[in-house]
Amino acid sequence: MEKISEDVLLRAISHCFKCKLCAIADFHGMGEEWLAICPSGSYYGFNSFYSPGRFEVLREVLNGEIDCGTEMLVKVAFACQLCGACYERCKEVSKVELDNAELFEELRSILAERGWLLDAHVRIREDVERTGNAYGEDERVEYPSSGDEVIYFVGCTARYREREISDAMVRVLDASGARYTVLGDEWCCGSPLLRTGQRDAASRLIEHNAGEISKIGAEKMVFTCPGCLKTFKESYPDLGVELLHASEYINDLVSEGRLQPGKLEITLPYHDPCHLGRHLGIYDAPRETLELIGVRVMELSRNRGNAWCCGSGGGVKSGFPEFATWTADERVKEIRATGSDVVASACPFCKRNLKDSGVRVFDLAELVSQALLRSDRG
Amino acid sequence: MTILEELERIVGRENVSGDPAITAAYSRDQHWTFVPPKNPAFVVRPGTKEEIRDVLMLANREKTPVIPWSTGINIRGMTIPTQDGSIMLDVSRLNRIVELNPEMMTATIQPGVTFGMLVEASKKHGLRPAFPDAPLTVSAVTNNYLRGIYQTSPRDGLDHILSFEIILPNGETLQTGSRLLKRDLPYFRYGPGPEIASLFIGGPGTWGVVTELTLKLYRIFEHQKIYYVGFDDLEKPIDLIDRVNREELVSSCRFVDTIHWLPPYLGTFDYEYETLPEFVVAMVVENQDRIFQAQDQIVQSYIAKSGGKILDLPQDLADNLKCEMLGAETSPMIFGFKGNFYCVGYYGPLNLLPKYYQDFKENALKIGFDAKDISFYANTIARFHGQSTYYELEIYFDSSDRKSVEMLRTLHARTVTNLLETGIYGWFRPYAGVIEPTLERIGNFTEYWKKLQNLIDPNGIMNPGKVF
Repeated sequence: MEKISEDVLLRAISHCFKCKLCAIADFHGMGEEWLAICPSGSYYGFNSFYSPGRFEVLREVLNGEIDCGTEMLVKVAFACQLCGACYERCKEVSKVELDNAELFEELRSILAERGWLLDAHVRIREDVERTGNAYGEDERVEYPSSGDEVIYFVGCTARYREREISDAMVRVLDASGARYTVLGDEWCCGSPLLRTGQRDAASRLIEHNAGEISKIGAEKMVFTCPGCLKTFKESYPDLGVELLHASEYINDLVSEGRLQPGKLEITLPYHDPCHLGRHLGIYDAPRETLELIGVRVMELSRNRGNAWCCGSGGGVKSGFPEFATWTADERVKEIRATGSDVVASACPFCKRNLKDSGVRVFDLAELVSQALLRSDRG
Repeated sequence: MTILEELERIVGRENVSGDPAITAAYSRDQHWTFVPPKNPAFVVRPGTKEEIRDVLMLANREKTPVIPWSTGINIRGMTIPTQDGSIMLDVSRLNRIVELNPEMMTATIQPGVTFGMLVEASKKHGLRPAFPDAPLTVSAVTNNYLRGIYQTSPRDGLDHILSFEIILPNGETLQTGSRLLKRDLPYFRYGPGPEIASLFIGGPGTWGVVTELTLKLYRIFEHQKIYYVGFDDLEKPIDLIDRVNREELVSSCRFVDTIHWLPPYLGTFDYEYETLPEFVVAMVVENQDRIFQAQDQIVQSYIAKSGGKILDLPQDLADNLKCEMLGAETSPMIFGFKGNFYCVGYYGPLNLLPKYYQDFKENALKIGFDAKDISFYANTIARFHGQSTYYELEIYFDSSDRKSVEMLRTLHARTVTNLLETGIYGWFRPYAGVIEPTLERIGNFTEYWKKLQNLIDPNGIMNPGKVF
């Protein structure tokens, strides 16, 4: 969460070649198909909404040419899911060390310091400060605990909005016999605040959660939310705990013989969550999980590093709901082009947004939980 | 009504902005070490030809500069404003392939169509456009219109334009070639009367806005073989290149330095390039069946006599040169070495290559550049009359380092002077840094050029400052 110095930012910006290859999927690797991968640029059109243009906006903010927090400036800075597709492409073709999403978070942080924020994002901070969760829910959802081998960090969305994911994960943990704990006083991991430039407010959350986790003394932590996992990996101090996505943990449980799911024998497209795939490089583990439970993966046109974002991340769902919906609609068209109206994924936030655009979305934890039932029957 | 209100009336509020958060994104390109950043006053994104016409008429009436911008991939500062109050005319919404005609082997496209889009569409018919060594995100209209496609294939030739439609600053629409007689027969360059297309080609948005262009497509051959021939000196390859081009044996021929230019062709940094010879001639032989076999045999015999060594590269990497021919997605990789890339691009005869490069290298070393950052690139073009070759002399540098930038400016000035004295055919594009000393040297041509420009654009609204 350390601020990047102005010199480093300007240097990084000046290395952008403006080739805009960051806006399209790997052309030759994907059968020479012209496929967009930048939701923000595709939706808004002006160059400011593509990475090369947004860099120039950051430059003018840094050197003071832009000195007024207009509605348009806030839109340019915040109407981007920080999905990282641009950097994924840039690092592949240029070797230039520009982490676009990181630079855009810097832009947001500068704007936030000046009070140039969206009301929706300020409300999230207020909700988090008041209730400890990003949805401002006063009533806590409780989970059972059975020991201190592993901590299941539930996260706000799986706890308060997509409850079936956390319920399914608890069933999986129970079935495996793992001794697990869900933090009694789990607060928001801080991701929504970090992604929207409100770093100071996130610090308190990190301090609190780190303290709670230290009390348990577990060796592992498992996450169904890749956003939480990313935040723990990148923004938390080293807690001496192994941090795993649910897919990685489940695969381990199966290989150790602690979990014996049946086979669902179905075929589904799989949507790569940005936080899990591009940000953490976890592409294979969820596919392996699906294979273990008899789900044949039908790859979407844009997959893995070229995946099109679900549309909800980076504060877009709360800040620009129409843009979030459009982005999800685009992904849903791709899902339906496979002939399926159902998609598998591995992120509560993706599930929420894609579901809102009309497809049925099953998280890995839910599918594994169903496969366990199949095993019981079998 | 203010200009902003007028623009809003023409294209709708959502397609125009004067907010710095929008205009900043059009203020700078990779040539910013030579062309300083400047925001336009407004960015406008028309969706139709009629809207383009209305914006031009408004600008003409108000004597406001207009800068046409297609897909925005530009490393020459050609779309960076020079005057206050400029309107940036972003035509990327006009991105329709109007017609792809396999029978005529042509495509008619709008300016927002990228090479990637065109490659994808053409391939379905076993065809491809001529392709520049540029990212596949560049505009096919702009690249063809600015000065031909310079690198794909000597067999294809340099000029792929058949006809186009251009909206002039006063709002009138002009058609060229066979379009003049029948709009739906745009397949012939030479219509009635004088051939004005060539007159307009090469103007960096200074004559008007091209809204539709018909260009040639070329056959994709099934049989294709790629050779990378290594050399340790600069002179020996010239003979090989001359022969294979003179006899029309290769469809692509590039003479490059290994360390800087081979990575984009092979598509990876992860190769021990330093173990290879210093220079490489990359050639593509392609044709049908037995013609291909015969050509290939001759090429092999010429390579054997050339003193070069066929490099034993992994096949999957070697095959990537095909991607270069069909869409150079990987080209910008090379810019990652230092972060930034400078090149002076021009046309000249092949036999001057050693002198061009040696002069450049000598100057660069004197100024203080490291030998490993100095590079060149030569690509034979068109039919080989005049040994026509496209050149780039290049420096890899870090634009955030002021000293490097100053050194580069010095090198650029010396290089341009040297090249003009040594003799070149022409610049790759008319852009800042090369056009000024050139205009001084071309005598009364400059005056006639200005008169013609004035005839078309009497109010001087079209991208002022980029040529005159």
